[in-house]
Amino acid sequence: METFVIGLSIGSILFMVALGLAIIYGTMKVINLAHGEMVMIGAYTTVLATKHLGFNLYLCIPLAFLVTAAFGYVIERTVVQRLYGRLLDTLLATWGIALILQQLIRIHFGLALFGIHIDGLGSDLQNVPVPSELQQAFHFLGANIPVYRAFIFVMALVLGAVSWWLIFKTRFGSQLRAVSVARNTAAACGINDKRVNTLAFAYGSGLAGIAGVLVSGFKTVSPDMGTPYVVDAFLVVVAGGVGHLMGTLLSAGILGEVQSFVATWLNDVYGRTVLFTVVILILLFKPQGLFVTKSR
Amino acid sequence: MTYRSASLVAYVAFFVLLMVLPFFLNSFWTNRMATYLVYSICALGIAMSWGYAGILSLGQGLFFGMGAYMLAMSLTLADPGNNPVPELMLLNMEPDAVRDLCCVTTGSFLWIPFRWVTVGILAGIVVPCILAALIGYVMFKRRTTGVYVSIITLAFALIGQLLIINNQPLTGGFNGLASLAALEIAGFEFDPYGPSVYYLVMFTLLVVMLLARYLLSGRVGQVLKAIREDEARARYLGYDVENYKLFIFCVSAGVAGLAGMLFTVTSEFAAPSLMATSFSISMVIWAATGGRASLLGACIGALIVNFIGSLASESATFQPVWPIILGALFVFVVLVMPNGIAGLFKDFFDRRSASANDGHAVPATAEGS
Amino acid sequence: MTKQTRRTFLKVSTLAAAGLATPSILRLGDRAWAADEIPVGIMYSLTGTTAIVEKSMNQCAQMAIDEINAKGGVLGKKLRPIIEDPASEPRIYGEKARKLTIEDQVPVIFGCYTTASRKAVLPVVEKRNGLLVWPTWYEGEECSKNVLYAGSAVPNQQLENSIPWLQKTLGKNKLFIVGSDYAFPRGMGKTTKTICQGIGMEVVGDEYLPLGHTEWASMVSKIGSSGADVIFSNVVGDSIVAFYRELRNQGYDFEKLPLCASTTTEVEIKAMGPEYALGSYVSLPYFQTVDTPQNKTFVEAFKAYAGADSVTHAAMEAVYVGVNMWAMAAEKAGDVSPEAVVANAGGLSFDAPQGKVTIDPQNLHSFLTPRIGKTRADGLLDIVDQYAEPLQPLPYSSVGETADKRICTTSGATL
Repeated sequence: METFVIGLSIGSILFMVALGLAIIYGTMKVINLAHGEMVMIGAYTTVLATKHLGFNLYLCIPLAFLVTAAFGYVIERTVVQRLYGRLLDTLLATWGIALILQQLIRIHFGLALFGIHIDGLGSDLQNVPVPSELQQAFHFLGANIPVYRAFIFVMALVLGAVSWWLIFKTRFGSQLRAVSVARNTAAACGINDKRVNTLAFAYGSGLAGIAGVLVSGFKTVSPDMGTPYVVDAFLVVVAGGVGHLMGTLLSAGILGEVQSFVATWLNDVYGRTVLFTVVILILLFKPQGLFVTKSR
Repeated sequence: MTYRSASLVAYVAFFVLLMVLPFFLNSFWTNRMATYLVYSICALGIAMSWGYAGILSLGQGLFFGMGAYMLAMSLTLADPGNNPVPELMLLNMEPDAVRDLCCVTTGSFLWIPFRWVTVGILAGIVVPCILAALIGYVMFKRRTTGVYVSIITLAFALIGQLLIINNQPLTGGFNGLASLAALEIAGFEFDPYGPSVYYLVMFTLLVVMLLARYLLSGRVGQVLKAIREDEARARYLGYDVENYKLFIFCVSAGVAGLAGMLFTVTSEFAAPSLMATSFSISMVIWAATGGRASLLGACIGALIVNFIGSLASESATFQPVWPIILGALFVFVVLVMPNGIAGLFKDFFDRRSASANDGHAVPATAEGS
Repeated sequence: MTKQTRRTFLKVSTLAAAGLATPSILRLGDRAWAADEIPVGIMYSLTGTTAIVEKSMNQCAQMAIDEINAKGGVLGKKLRPIIEDPASEPRIYGEKARKLTIEDQVPVIFGCYTTASRKAVLPVVEKRNGLLVWPTWYEGEECSKNVLYAGSAVPNQQLENSIPWLQKTLGKNKLFIVGSDYAFPRGMGKTTKTICQGIGMEVVGDEYLPLGHTEWASMVSKIGSSGADVIFSNVVGDSIVAFYRELRNQGYDFEKLPLCASTTTEVEIKAMGPEYALGSYVSLPYFQTVDTPQNKTFVEAFKAYAGADSVTHAAMEAVYVGVNMWAMAAEKAGDVSPEAVVANAGGLSFDAPQGKVTIDPQNLHSFLTPRIGKTRADGLLDIVDQYAEPLQPLPYSSVGETADKRICTTSGATL
């Protein structure tokens, strides 16, 4: 039971990071290797806001969403937009952006060169104060469940629901779906596909930012904290089936459980090995992912 | 001068320059140049699979690292301090284990063939090839393409790195293999800091380059390009697309393995960090900067990126911002010069011939260089 | 290689060898230093994953050099630091060590933090006759004559005191060993098991996770179900923060389930937020709170140098010890060459911030004072136990080295 709960919590973090990536990849077929850096920026927003503005963790969630969405907006406008249709090239360009963002944090956005240091930036590890009600554990069905993990799980579900609502119930969502299925036709019907792309990218980045806030509560905040997330999250996206929200949710859940059970049974190294193997098997035997969008 | 003759001149000039370079270098720079040429070989392998066949492997570090480990195992055993049983095994064995390579730690017998350096050298090329064949076979038979190939290869490299680190009694773990003897072939000892290793690397580069040109300028190259442009069409034309892709993927892995071996020679160690994601991606960046579809371009790209990196990190002014410079370089290359330096070179000639034709239509040149 | 290329190859290498004998003016990179200066290499990562700690080590090395220069330098010459950034990658450590040793011809490199980086530097200093002054506590199992292990603790100096202490003072008997997956934690694990056997403590778990791993939920629940009543942690780097926070989030309390760590310094405690480490123990020879006059000066000097909110920690103190002891050995030898320094380092003593540090002439490691600290609310540690005298270093204790049966001697290691 405890193993199952841990799996759920690993899965929900994966889901939150993957959700943004799935929206971006699904809409514009762009692999954003700087997505992990969005998680990192979300975490640093939390550090700075709690240190300098006296925010608590809950208040940081909308703030980080806005900040990272803004970053995403700028990145899309300046770089990604010029690379549509060149899938592998966006991979390289966004990796470059990731390097730049990491180093900008380390050198305090360049201010360090002029001798200005901002508390909370730089290459040091940072930490975030967690509200005390989240610092406990409760017992449920014989398992010891940390409140914080439960909180993350709930947040993941909420974000999933909001995204579902946004994509399937709003005007923007139907434009988004139109663009992702048939860009040219959508554009011909009067949808401003560039605007849709930019907003989707910003929204996806914003979700990563929220993941960053939640992750900052129990993991280390450092400039290169984001990198490991991208690969995992991307595996979740492709395993779940591109452009399929439920697929992403389910594959995040499955992969989280796989990792957790193997890790408990053997160790985390084999956990990860098995996780990768499962993804590779899924890709080989169901190249479209667990869920295939049938509407095409 | 036409583009074709100009690129021939470029090739010749490049190798003549490499040939005379050591006369002007001290031993540190000789070694550093040799290492950078190793990176060139690696970039060459990437240009072959990515530039020609459109297969972007982000797990090239796995093959590079495998090559490095194969030779490093042989050189470890050749070191007097590690013979007959490597020190790393003595430190990790159970107290009552037999002190023999057959069974000192679990799996240590795998090392036995590496007592012969020849085996190490062969394995350095063959093992990455076989590994690539296995990975490639499943991937291409399932018709996995594009970005999925990149991610699957990336995942394999991560697994390889994790397994090597986790099996410390067999592989030396996170620290890798570092107490190596110098490479000795037929009684001649290669000095990593002398011209001998430099020329070993340079001639390997030359040979690989010639073989690659020979291979890719013929039928194989044409078919691969056809596959890159439109896989389905190539298949309808009756080409066995999967086998062509598998072939070039293995060749590229073999080249990476070869580069990995030479890395062990110039740098005297092999470590799991050679299989890290960031290193694999850097290799792709080298090829992209130089020009993904140009063999010479990829080589030059590797040299230039590494030079910029080392110069920037060694100057006091640029030290804090050098990762930004590198990152900006990647973005710049992808946005502004997608075909890299070689692309600029080609554009220059295309434009010249366009103005020479004075308004006549420019004949579309389909081939890369 | 074909016969043809082989012949050309041999010919060309001969030519090239002749080329290398030409006056060095022609060649790139050779450097002549001013006669009143001694170049010394400083090589700690300023970028990448381990930059967090290594940046402060870099600052400390520069501070120590400034202090020495202010007192007139070494052999009447000023030390001139050449700073390189190896970017936390062993591959680049090797490359930068080559640059420093061969091109800049420095007689000594102060550098490295992880063993992986030291292993990449080792072939360079050993084959090109350089010298590395290595600061960090590590797994031992090394006996190089081109490395001065000044200030660097080895497993027996962190474990011989702490494991029996956990049993005697805290009355705990079921130990869970947890660490990052590489040589240091595994070496510590081996030595710990040997000690536990000797004093009748039970080891109920011995587990490792990859370096940089930040998902500790499974491991913590494993510890919980193992029945352990005390944890010994050899977890390193960013993982420490995630590990401690996970323990807290799963509801463990260091008062009931004590934890003693070998690598959790003031830096990591500050990074995770002291409330998460409150009450946990650390076994190291140096803490910022060590009560010696030398340490008072050291802490003040560093705060003045690097900023009032900076902390001092064991790896940094070891850098300070290393720079100073190298200078002492060079003064004594009257020469800065690596052989001369190594030959004269044995037996030297230095009044370090942690107390007296002496270099063992057999293995070039250091006599250090083992200490146990308990984390307090401000992120510093109260010293709850310390040896009266420095303890001798036994780098091969994991494979059974004892004071009477040395494995590492002046003639190298015999396993």
